Amino acid sequence: MNARTTQSIELIDYPQPGIYDELLGDDLRPRPAARTLFDYVNRLGAEELVARREAVDAAIMAMGITFTVYSEAGNIDRAWPFDIIPRTMSKREWDRIDAGLKQRLTALNLFIDDLYNAQHIVRDGIFPAEVLAGSKNFRECCRGMTPRFGVWAHVCGTDLVRDGDGTVYVLEDNLRVPSGVSYMLENRQLMKRLFPELFKSSDILPVDDYPIQLYDTLAALSPRQDDRPVVVVLTPGIYNSAYFEHSYLAQKMGAILVEGSDLVVNGDDCVYMKTISGLRRVDVVYRRIDDDFLDPEAFRPDSMLGVPGLMRAWKAGKVGIANAPGAGVADDKVVYTFVPQIIKYYLDQDPIIPNVPSWLCMDATQRDHVLANLDKLVVKPANESGGYGMLIGPRASEEERRKFADLIRANPRNYMAQPTLAISTAPTMVGDQLAPRHLDLRPFVLQSNRLYATTGGLTRVALRQGSLVVNSSQGGGSKDTWIVDTGEE
Amino acid sequence: MLSRVAENLYWVGRYLERAENTARLINSTTQVLLDLPVNASFGWDVLIKVAGLDAEFGERYPQADEDSIIRFLIVDEDNPGSIISSIHNARENTRTVREVLPMELWERVNSLYLYIRENGARALIGRGPRDDVLRAVIGQRESIVGLLTGSMSRDVAYQFIKLGRNMERADMTTRIVDVNSAVHLPADTALAALTSERAWISTLNALSAYQMYRNHVGVHVRSHDVAEFLLKDPHFPRTVKHCLAEIEGCLSTLPEHVDAMKQVRKAWRRLDGMNLEGLTSPVLHEYLDQVQADIGAIHAVVARQYFHLHQRHNGSGEDQ
Repeated sequence: MNARTTQSIELIDYPQPGIYDELLGDDLRPRPAARTLFDYVNRLGAEELVARREAVDAAIMAMGITFTVYSEAGNIDRAWPFDIIPRTMSKREWDRIDAGLKQRLTALNLFIDDLYNAQHIVRDGIFPAEVLAGSKNFRECCRGMTPRFGVWAHVCGTDLVRDGDGTVYVLEDNLRVPSGVSYMLENRQLMKRLFPELFKSSDILPVDDYPIQLYDTLAALSPRQDDRPVVVVLTPGIYNSAYFEHSYLAQKMGAILVEGSDLVVNGDDCVYMKTISGLRRVDVVYRRIDDDFLDPEAFRPDSMLGVPGLMRAWKAGKVGIANAPGAGVADDKVVYTFVPQIIKYYLDQDPIIPNVPSWLCMDATQRDHVLANLDKLVVKPANESGGYGMLIGPRASEEERRKFADLIRANPRNYMAQPTLAISTAPTMVGDQLAPRHLDLRPFVLQSNRLYATTGGLTRVALRQGSLVVNSSQGGGSKDTWIVDTGEE
Repeated sequence: MLSRVAENLYWVGRYLERAENTARLINSTTQVLLDLPVNASFGWDVLIKVAGLDAEFGERYPQADEDSIIRFLIVDEDNPGSIISSIHNARENTRTVREVLPMELWERVNSLYLYIRENGARALIGRGPRDDVLRAVIGQRESIVGLLTGSMSRDVAYQFIKLGRNMERADMTTRIVDVNSAVHLPADTALAALTSERAWISTLNALSAYQMYRNHVGVHVRSHDVAEFLLKDPHFPRTVKHCLAEIEGCLSTLPEHVDAMKQVRKAWRRLDGMNLEGLTSPVLHEYLDQVQADIGAIHAVVARQYFHLHQRHNGSGEDQ
């Protein structure tokens, strides 16, 4: 062993019985995919690591990586909270997950297309008509449509978590306007800037082809296949919390960032953008606006963000929209519980990545189980995102649980419940030490005439001790995600 | 390029230029005042008049004294023409068009805004600190132009910022020159000549033009020579003529520019036709008003040609 002038970095709050750590085994030795990283970190020592963290914070400010926080005092750009210790995973494990993600999105797209057309899955008794009837995101006006390639959800953010026994589960499928991919890309840029040595010496798979893959996925939706398509990113505007990402992706794809007021649908049902040399036709709209606000003619008439006539243009086949209007029907926590059957039904395969075991409150027996075990379960409403409106049983008060029980009884279709998982952790810098913090993983999956999944994805980490909430809107941060080729077969 | 983006870029150029030139205008006025003999009269309210803001000011301030006027022009967020409002507007416009600009631009504009927000109050303490703050605003703004010059492709986005900058600059140069028409010279001829010379030196200094004037015109500072230089010199970058040439250059790279170019040439011909020899203050003032009207007419055509679609569909109606 070399003589060291630096102190190797100290772990605190380890081991944690019953909880799987992504980087460290039960004996607190690094797992194979994390070995190079740990050698390196220990060689650097605590002092140097703290210095690099300060450098990374400065770089985040300088690169202007921000998200917007709404407040009374006006909207402010807040720096993106980032932990410099990456989350690692072996390529062998990732390859299986990659296959599972593609399998899942393929099945979900077949499912959405079926729901808006023949509804075989309902007639065959696999998917209950009453769940469909209660779906807030089923868009009647999309009935009879088959978008190009039969694909509705072109961009999917799939949230994965790992339980205490090491099993990776799908926690939810985000099929409406999933965000976060720009942070995945920026996290890698930051790490390369800060630790260039590491990327030379270890087999970390690259992530940066996402913008090109996204562009190709979108371009394939163009109704005018002979020309270079005009692709736009439709943003609600600068006050949206993900505006940074909208601008970032437009820039990286060489697409045009537009707001609703920049677009107009003419009598020929084509979509045009207003330019300094007049109207110019738009072929594909990557919309980052919810269905509700997309087209005041078709959905909410009070929407100031959308484009009147956009649905008309889409139905006439004059423009591609990603994700297609109505794709959100499969982004529903109750529909989620049926995904294993959906995969089986359309693909005749078993799911490669399992669902978290779930109880459906619309079923009387399962509902009784949920009501009797509220102190042990997590209860989620069907159509909320960002961690809003859910009950974390073990942490809730008696009063909160009673209120929630009433909510469930009043509208059972709207709720499902899951056991509280022992969500995995990874070492995260706290002061000059490393402490375990809970995390999840959101890979992004693309489908049009191709299928693609990011290599890894966005790792979100709950920076507060013991917290399970990883959403950036609620105090979460993120880490770079390394898929490491350890040479295992 | 999207009409909305073009319009925002144009206003980024205008607002930043306006902030810098308002700082120059205040500095020039302060200088003129310091150099005046005791028996020459001069009113601070001229600043409000030349800035075209008398109505806004009168509504909210009872007295046109130095303190009120300085507050109104530097830190009053309810005055759309104040330095802080101009920088704030430039910042909000920059925010929406970040993807067509060099990455550092947003940071620079943002830090200029943070600077004036934090230091604006210091400018109200006295003339010394005020001078420091205004110089800092001018300096930071110059570094922003430097950044654009040094690291932005000469694409359409660049042309719209440059167009806005030169439109505003030409307009503000006429206003800074106009400050002189408010100086009432003393009866004594020798003293009047001296006073007039000092006032015009202040104007040249405010536009960072004194050395170039000396190099290219001469050491004697006479009113018609300075007016001739600041309006018609083709080489100094803050003169009306130079700005018109820059505007023409920008327009020539844009599509469908025939109408706007016609308007520029009209302004150009009128400028050439102005006889500045032996002119009096009231005539100069009239001339300057005419130049401002011509620049306004160019703006109207530009807005109709390039921002029109965007405005029409938003129902925001007439050009500003």
